[in-house]
Amino acid sequence: MSDQDLDLPAWSEPFATRNREGLIHIAPLGRVSREVAWGSGDGSGITVAIIDSGVERNHPAVGGRLVRSMRVEVDEEGEPNVVEDVDPIDVVGHGTACAGIIHSLAPAAEFVSIRVLGPDNRGKGAVFAAGLDWAIEQGASVVNLSLSSKSDALFGIFHELADAAYFANVLLVSAANNVPGKSYPSLFASVVSVAAHDVPDPLTYFYNPSPPVEFGAFGLDVDVAWKDGKRIVATGNSFAAPHIAGFAARIRARHPRITPFEVKALLAATADNARDA
Amino acid sequence: MTPRKRHPDLSTAALAALRSIALRAEGARRLTPGAGESVLRSVVDATVALFQAEAASIALYDASTDRLVFRVAAGDQGQGVVGLAVPPDQGLVGYVYTSGQALAISDVRADPRFGRAFAESTQYVPRSIVAVPLADDHGTIGVLEVLDKRDEAAFSLRDIELASVFARQAAVAISATRVERDVSALLTSVFSGLLQPTDGDDAEARTTSPAALVDELVAAATAELGREDLSHLWALVEQVARVRAAAPDQLALVADLLAVLAGHAEHDRAARFGRQRRSR
Repeated sequence: MSDQDLDLPAWSEPFATRNREGLIHIAPLGRVSREVAWGSGDGSGITVAIIDSGVERNHPAVGGRLVRSMRVEVDEEGEPNVVEDVDPIDVVGHGTACAGIIHSLAPAAEFVSIRVLGPDNRGKGAVFAAGLDWAIEQGASVVNLSLSSKSDALFGIFHELADAAYFANVLLVSAANNVPGKSYPSLFASVVSVAAHDVPDPLTYFYNPSPPVEFGAFGLDVDVAWKDGKRIVATGNSFAAPHIAGFAARIRARHPRITPFEVKALLAATADNARDA
Repeated sequence: MTPRKRHPDLSTAALAALRSIALRAEGARRLTPGAGESVLRSVVDATVALFQAEAASIALYDASTDRLVFRVAAGDQGQGVVGLAVPPDQGLVGYVYTSGQALAISDVRADPRFGRAFAESTQYVPRSIVAVPLADDHGTIGVLEVLDKRDEAAFSLRDIELASVFARQAAVAISATRVERDVSALLTSVFSGLLQPTDGDDAEARTTSPAALVDELVAAATAELGREDLSHLWALVEQVARVRAAAPDQLALVADLLAVLAGHAEHDRAARFGRQRRSR
């Protein structure tokens, strides 16, 4: 399609090949090598929560690292409750795809899956919020959120949860939506918000000094794990976020006392477009 | 405005005006049946043309059945999907609806279990799909799906973004027509807004619930719509609605016929008026 001249509003625009020449991050405290940032850190001791469609426990891509599966159940009063998923499944394949990407980067990290997709769709935004609340309370090191809510009614709840996570030392990594517009919690300041770039390399990521979407990671034609032990080729910001979550897990494994804003600063200083001042 | 008694502060003239508005709105609704659908159809038509795609379709969430229902489709391979309903927690369309996250998938056929049964029920199994959410201020309301670009094997990031722009247009159009398409719903929402109980409510006001009051007001304002002697009018309105689809030369014929009829009616009225004058 000859749409290259279209002025398309999109969060991944700054990371596109044709725009990247201008995407430079002058790291104020200097660039940091990835050796310093995570070195041998492979994610040991780190728990990554995957709030998604579930994670397939026996999928080869997950490497047996799924330690717990939860799901959100809506009771008769419409209140969401987080309960053990006795039959841990991935109803789509998407959560397994995210876990597989993180496992490929941080192979020792453990996963907790919180499935927010299920047969009951009453108040899906509230279900998502309940899952996130639970992950924060459990003290997950990193939470991968390849989903978001556009509901005005949930703005306040997600804002509170993003703050609660930040103060509880829980790093939220959230996929940006494709088109600028309301999207919670991906557009909150404390969240690591990620869009896709078009470089076919999982180890390449960029920092965008113009928020709200600060990171660009691999998300085009990604070979991902999918439902029923399969693999599929998929594209979307959904698959960019788990790449950054994987690097964050390595950073947190290497520097156990590091806080969310320090992780963000390290990610920016190690980005492919970081330059010394 | 405080609900103090039945039809509070609503004069006969105001009620008559509301009835007239209700009548006109109902007439407009019947003159443009499926106005919302036609906007959606134009979105999928434009999507297919722009992407050079085999098919594009829009599914909207229907709360009463808890299903995503495919409402419109375009493209050579698109029509089989219209009317199909899928659970909102399954498959790619379900995921996009529930997560609000746009996705593209290629090599769909490589995985025999990936929505294969559904795709086969539409008589078309695609190679690649892009699906983006339709969202308004209250959240995601549906999904726009595009299948197979004719000249490329997969969808790019830009395709997802472009599809998202189309989806936003569709969502805006749906939000607008959802309010307009049902006179009763529109009146109910207007009255509900007006009759929010205020702090100064007295005991009398609380004896009638705002909801009951709203129902009564809507019933009063729309009472005309169901009246027997209007059925000829609605039949006429619906015929006019059908004529809108006529070719230009047919329209000219209809206009000529209407001119003759109008002249006849005018003559008839003048004659009746004359008779009345003479009988005095």
